[in-house]
Amino acid sequence: MEPANSGALEALLKRGELVESTSEMTPDYLRELKHTLLFSGDTELISAPAYYLAARKAPSVNAFMTGIAIIQDELAHAHIAYHILEELGESQEDLIFKRDPKAFRYPYAFDVPLESWTELVVANAMYDQAGFCLLGDIHEHGSYGPWKRGLVKVMAEENFHLRNGRNWSKRISQAGGEAREELQRAVDWMFPLTVEWFGLPDNLKQHSTQLDYRLKGLTNDQLRQQWLSTVVPFMESIGIAVPAHQEGDGYVLDYPFPCTFDADEKRWDFKDPCSWDAVLKRWRERGPRNAEMVALFQESFAKFQVRA
Amino acid sequence: MGYTRVHAEVHEYDVFARKTRVEPLHQVGSVVAPDDDLAMAYARATYDEERWVEMMIVPKAAIISLWAPGGDS
Repeated sequence: MEPANSGALEALLKRGELVESTSEMTPDYLRELKHTLLFSGDTELISAPAYYLAARKAPSVNAFMTGIAIIQDELAHAHIAYHILEELGESQEDLIFKRDPKAFRYPYAFDVPLESWTELVVANAMYDQAGFCLLGDIHEHGSYGPWKRGLVKVMAEENFHLRNGRNWSKRISQAGGEAREELQRAVDWMFPLTVEWFGLPDNLKQHSTQLDYRLKGLTNDQLRQQWLSTVVPFMESIGIAVPAHQEGDGYVLDYPFPCTFDADEKRWDFKDPCSWDAVLKRWRERGPRNAEMVALFQESFAKFQVRA
Repeated sequence: MGYTRVHAEVHEYDVFARKTRVEPLHQVGSVVAPDDDLAMAYARATYDEERWVEMMIVPKAAIISLWAPGGDS
């Protein structure tokens, strides 16, 4: 049976208006909204320990402070998503502190350790660019008012992270020698991880409830193309090779997509194409740093909890 | 609404700010804290994306809503 306000919600979405309260939602819309918010909150939250573990390798105190400022931004972004979830009836405390590490929903890329300042700035240039594409889409097309407004701050700050990533990538590339080789190696393993960030290709994803509900406006492939159209020209402009090139209006990958990845070695095997089932299995099992990162923000919870 | 946090009892505050004198205050977000002092600190640290000329926080409990989207009006 259709919920009572299903017709009203559909009409509201069709008019391009914003949903503002739970009384206007169908149970299905609410479930999809929460799912999308959780993915966003978890991604912002996990980026904090991922970036922190790399920021400790900063080449100067100034650079370290920039890293810490970015981490503080990411925590505030996570807060925005979790607080909206709280207003929708979830417990922020349970979501952050009481979930199993494997229950967190964020792109697999963050599970592969960022171990140097170079890898951190490449993450700023490529991972934050992916976040910028995904959240920019929700900011522009999203149907839930409170989130759309919350993203104004997020977009401004992601732009700053991106600038940090690009400035440093350029600087490291210009330094040449060993520094530049390290940059190239980071891009080699991180580029394909960000390409898969956008999920299944459109021809395998038959139907998107998120698109029906305007929880996003662009398809996986459209977002992936948007990301490629900014990252490929940038990397080429600083003399760093990427396995993709422009063809007509779009970008084409120079390797089989998807293919196998050795997380411990941080190495892709472009000669070994694999199925999306194999990729989904790798994502579900999570990667090397999942438990360590979740422990970084969960471990002191029990210790400092004040009991009523 | 009951929030449980590391503290036994916390309150929600709405955060309002404006960038320039000519624009009106608008809601930039909210924070949840056990008291006004911590709420101010959280608001300052969380919503630092602009050089605001004015920022204020209001306990959500003090807001009286006349009507809202999705209501019966």
